[in-house]
Amino acid sequence: MILTGRVPLLLLAGLVPVVLRPGLSTTWLWVLIVLVLVIVDWWLAPAPGGLELERSPAVRVRVGEPALTTLTASYPRGRPFRGIVRDAWQPTAGAVANRHQVAVAAGERRRLATQLLPVRRGDLQAVGVTVRSHGPLGLAARQRTRQVPGSVRALPPFESRKHLPSRLARLRELDGRSAVRVRGQGTEFDSLREYVRGDDVRSIDWRASARNRSVVVRTWQPDRDRRVVLVLDTSRTSAGRVADVPRLDSAMDAALLLAALAARAGDRIDFLAGDRRVRTRLRLTGPDVVSPLQDAMSGLVPIIAEADWSVLAGALAGFGRQRALVVLLTPLEPSAIEEGLLPVLPTLARHHRIILASVKDPALEQMASTRETLDDVYGAAAAEQVLAQRRRTAAILTALGIDIVDTDAERLAPALADHYLMLKARGLL
Amino acid sequence: MTTTIAAPGLTTGPTRTDQGWLRRHRAVLLISSGLVAATVLTAVSTGSGRYTDPLDPANANPDGARAIAKVLGHQGIDVQVVRSAKELAGATTDLGTTVVVTSTGSLGRGTIQQLRDQASDALVVLVDPDVGIPTLFDAQEGIRTRRSTSITAHCNDPLFDGLTLKVDQYTSYPSPSNTCFAHAGGSVLGQAQPLLVMLGAGGLLANDQIARADNAAFALRLLGQHNHLVWYVPDAADNSAHDSVGISSILPRWLKPGLWLLGICVLALMIARGRRLGALVTEPLPVVVTAIETTRSRGRLYRKVNDRAYAADALRRAARRRLAVDLNLPRSAVNDPQALVTDIAAATGIDSTRLRGLLLGDGVGPRTDKDLTDLANALADLTREVRRP
Repeated sequence: MILTGRVPLLLLAGLVPVVLRPGLSTTWLWVLIVLVLVIVDWWLAPAPGGLELERSPAVRVRVGEPALTTLTASYPRGRPFRGIVRDAWQPTAGAVANRHQVAVAAGERRRLATQLLPVRRGDLQAVGVTVRSHGPLGLAARQRTRQVPGSVRALPPFESRKHLPSRLARLRELDGRSAVRVRGQGTEFDSLREYVRGDDVRSIDWRASARNRSVVVRTWQPDRDRRVVLVLDTSRTSAGRVADVPRLDSAMDAALLLAALAARAGDRIDFLAGDRRVRTRLRLTGPDVVSPLQDAMSGLVPIIAEADWSVLAGALAGFGRQRALVVLLTPLEPSAIEEGLLPVLPTLARHHRIILASVKDPALEQMASTRETLDDVYGAAAAEQVLAQRRRTAAILTALGIDIVDTDAERLAPALADHYLMLKARGLL
Repeated sequence: MTTTIAAPGLTTGPTRTDQGWLRRHRAVLLISSGLVAATVLTAVSTGSGRYTDPLDPANANPDGARAIAKVLGHQGIDVQVVRSAKELAGATTDLGTTVVVTSTGSLGRGTIQQLRDQASDALVVLVDPDVGIPTLFDAQEGIRTRRSTSITAHCNDPLFDGLTLKVDQYTSYPSPSNTCFAHAGGSVLGQAQPLLVMLGAGGLLANDQIARADNAAFALRLLGQHNHLVWYVPDAADNSAHDSVGISSILPRWLKPGLWLLGICVLALMIARGRRLGALVTEPLPVVVTAIETTRSRGRLYRKVNDRAYAADALRRAARRRLAVDLNLPRSAVNDPQALVTDIAAATGIDSTRLRGLLLGDGVGPRTDKDLTDLANALADLTREVRRP
């Protein structure tokens, strides 16, 4: 049984009879009257189970953007229902105004919409719906909590999409499709067309020009139908936070931008995520690659364990033998790389072109340059050691023919996209 | 954005054993033992003055009345102090007895009735009776004034004529106009009945006021009228529950049931507010790992073992590499420190002895912590100097 705020108020009103007829008997009589009223009200309150609840299907939404979840409450029979329905979600789902006043008569239905504002990536769950049914006097209520399953899939925010238009423009320049008349770069011969001012004179095809009344230039089409494999490392090194953002999230951002760009460039994209075992393996087809990728990424969380790169390399081989651009999204951590990744790299590098994209921590260089107290100096020595090891590891990787994109979290996505465009322009895919 | 990390086997730390109980409750134990000590000390220090009530005949404090009780005894008057209803019942109170009552606040209906029955023949003096007490003696209540003036008897009663009183506070009782010690429309010596006197200037009995004006003479004459003086100091423990003369007779009758109702109302409010609308929701929280943390710990480790030579070596190596990069020296130069120093000296014109001392050291490393800090800052200055010549 639940008492409402009206019960103490009603008890307080008992001061009037107590003043008029002083005596403890008046007090007890009044309390008895209120008690009887409360019991009668509770008995008359309709059972909370009579309200049938149904939830709208799960929604997908980017982190930080609002979503709406709807409960449909139908009330087939019984005394008129009056009460409160609370739709509880886990806190990071951001359900704020989730208490709904409901008044419904038999045979009616109501839609109860709760606004969600996810602040965390992943599948965020509804925890339970609590129904509180008031009696006709509003003195007592019955309450029951039951599970009405529901979830909202919070996708990676893809903040680097603001860089996409500028990179697409550069891609079109490569393609020769742009209004800007620049000689199409690339290696595959495309077609001949008339010379316009601004074209590179080196691309003039003199043989064709001799047969023609005007000067003719050759154009090349950038390589198409190449394979890009994105490998996302979800091991312990990705769990580390740089400026309070896990490296994994920055790596996802970079992967999404590269995937969007490569899809527009006509390349095929495969996605692989894992640590000690493969978490997600996805072969993307069709023009829209961003939303299936976001979907696949939304549930990924880093685990505190070392990555097993031989397992990942095996999964990578499962995508096919065709030469591909393999983008390893893993931090350049000397020990993890040298012990885990290095043994499998030579084989991989023979078959594929490899880029290692790493989130650099600006705090490391700052630490190396702070030398005020003794603690700072020892810290600086440690930071210098770590930096030297990183350089050594990077040198080893470069010697194996691997490109390294090692930069700050917010610059990683555009830097990786630029590197891809550079490779494409030079026909190195 | 937050991230969940599955971390099986991670616990919040070692659980404490029972052996730490004493240490954990040390503060509580200290405070409680201090309190006990303070209580015992207070009890011991005040134990000597057992009777601390104002105007108590055994109280030697400024507000006690031991002086006058002693003097009365020396004057040949048999002073008998009774401190409970039982002792009062055992005392003789006949025609030749004066009964003086102090601490009237501890009187109850029962004890007053006993006093009136027993001392019906004796002269009863109520000293500064509390509000409500005169009514129970069928007398009128007095008016309290706080004024430090003297009052002279001005009457034809040979007992008091010519005496002057001076105390801090008076209570005057309604009385005929020609009475002694007239004050504020009444008299401080209220004669309600032939054998009932209410003294509205009880302060004159106090040890610190007895010597003022004619206070002592007045007290001796008032209390020394008979050879036998019974000094009754009533004990509140003699009162039974329905005896109380206190505040309850003044308060409205609905207050007690009203307070009960209010209490029940608060209880109902607590029950009403205490019930949640469904359970609290928990969030599977992520483990937060800062990427820089391992490097920081490594620095703390160096600090802990005080490996100055190693730290200095690391800093020097980093500085050498940085200088080589800034001066566009070939990469192989970094591996030959001696040649590198010569190259840097040639390129920048900095004294090569200083460079050697900074970049190569003497093979032993800094001797003190300050040397290490100085070296670190000197290296930082050098790289800055070369970068912006």
